[in-house]
Order: sequence, then structure tokens, then C-alpha cells
Amino acid sequence: MRTRILGFGALATVALAAMFGLFVVPADLNQGDAQRIMYVHVASAWIAYLSFIVTALAGIGWLVRRDLRFDAVALAGAEIGVIFTALAIWGGMMWARPVWGTFWQWEDPRLTTTALLLALYIGYLLLRRLSDDPRRRATRAAVVGLVAAVDIPIVHFSVIWWRGLHQAPTFGSPDRLLHPAAPMQFVAALLLMLLAVTLAWLYLMIRRYQLARLETLLEEAARLGRLRSARASVARTAPVDITAAVDAAAPQPSRSTSSAEEPAR
Amino acid sequence: MRDVAFVIAGYGVILGGLAIYALILGRRLRNARREASSVAEVPAERDAEQPSAPSPSRGAE
Repeated sequence: MRTRILGFGALATVALAAMFGLFVVPADLNQGDAQRIMYVHVASAWIAYLSFIVTALAGIGWLVRRDLRFDAVALAGAEIGVIFTALAIWGGMMWARPVWGTFWQWEDPRLTTTALLLALYIGYLLLRRLSDDPRRRATRAAVVGLVAAVDIPIVHFSVIWWRGLHQAPTFGSPDRLLHPAAPMQFVAALLLMLLAVTLAWLYLMIRRYQLARLETLLEEAARLGRLRSARASVARTAPVDITAAVDAAAPQPSRSTSSAEEPAR
Repeated sequence: MRDVAFVIAGYGVILGGLAIYALILGRRLRNARREASSVAEVPAERDAEQPSAPSPSRGAE
């Protein structure tokens, strides 16, 4: 019930933030209305980082505690992170075409490392499908999740470390957070959208975690069912086979008939 | 408003994508819950029908 309330709250906040960003905040002098896309693009990118950080931390949790609930959290973070990364890339492309004049440029380090981040976590999700054993799968996924997380700071600092089309962060440090390189109305719109998307992320994480736990339980139930049916079939067939084997191994014909009468032997 | 098509495409795909993902997730969760409840019922029914598993010695009698 509380999760459902959270979902409705997230929906209302997202609608409010979208209205604020689209119709209340003025257009940028240089970029025009395309700048409005930044509110959803930047918020999606930050939430993608957050999701992958959660996946890495949950992977550490699994490796240390060996509790499959950590693996469920890691899976939820990776899947939702992939969705948010793909949406952030899309938003960036829609902003870049009118402002930069191109949808994409492979020479730009931020764009390329973000595409790599998406590919890494799609690989993470595919890797999880390779094993039916939940513990082996969780260990492999935790290791890959930790390795893939190395790309997160590379994506973030790529605009500082290397030159490219992508601009430097608007809030890179506490000083820039207090004195951002954008008017306060724009910052308010961005922070409101960030709050809205964070609420939506929280709702999706809870739902995906619940689904992951159920999937694990269903897998265990299916495995137990297969085991039980295998045991039952062995129990049904084994006595017949043993009798047949005893009959076949009996040296005298009279012995085979008496064996049915004397099962204790 | 300039570049309306890009703004609509940006907001539409991002917010619409999140909404579609939330709906798909809700449906997957509902199906999984239904499946889990049916799995929980089947062993109980099976136990009621077959109180004990057939023993190997029964076949030799």
C-alpha cells in the first residue's frame, strides 16, 4: 500500500516537474527551448549513476554476506540503470541535434563512455541468463557489476579529463552548487525534476526487487518440483528394475519363481 | 516555442518510456505473484492426494 502511494506521489511529482520545466521556466537565450530537455536528460543520467552504484554496493553485499536479497537489489539496480541510461542518451541526442547540429559524435569522451556504460550493463543482464544456479549467477554478476562500475567515474569526469563537445558539469563541486553556471530558475527546474525522477526510481526499485525475489522463489520451486518428480520416478521404476535384475541373474529357473514368494531374501 | 519536435521527442520518450516500463513491471509482478500462489497450492493438493510417497519395497510385494 505504501509502495502504491509512493508510485502515485512519483507520478504527480513527475507531472508537476514536467509542467514547470516546459511551461513556467523561460527558454534559454542561446539554446532556446531545446534547453528544457536538459531537465529530464540530466536527472536521468544522475539516476543511472545511482542505480549502477547501488548494483555495485549490492554486489559487494552479496560477496560478503552471501544473502540472495543483495543479488535481487543488484539486479533491480542494473535493469533500471540500463533503462535510465538509454533514456538519458536519447534525451541528450534530442538536445544535441538543435544545439550542436548533430545527434551523436563518437569523438566526444562523455558520449562514448556513456555508450560503453550502457553496453557493459546490458552485458551484465545477459550474463545473468547464463546460469540457472542462483548462487553462481549472483557471484558472477557481482564481479561483473564491480568491474563495470569503474566506468561510472570515468563517465562523470570525462568532461574534465578530456576535451569534447560536451560541456563541463553545471554543479561539479560544492562551490558550483551554491553558485551554479545557470540561472536559479533553471536550477530549481532541474532539482524538481531530479526529486521527481528519484521518487519514480525508488518506486521502480522496490517493484523490481519484489519481482526479483519472486523469480528466485519460483526458480527454487521449479527446481524442487523437478527433484521431487525425479525421485518419484526413481521410486516407481527402481523395484521393477531390481526384480528384473534378480530374475535375470538367477542361476536356476526354479529360483526365479521362488524369489517372488520370498521378497525378504 | 522553437525546436518543439525535439522537446516533445525528448520528454515524450523519457517520461513515456518510464511509464511503459512501470506498467510492464507491474504486469510481470502480477503474473509472478499469481504463479507463486499456484505453486504454493500444488504441493498442498499433492500431499492431500498422496499422503506418503511410494516406497521401493512396495513394488516387490
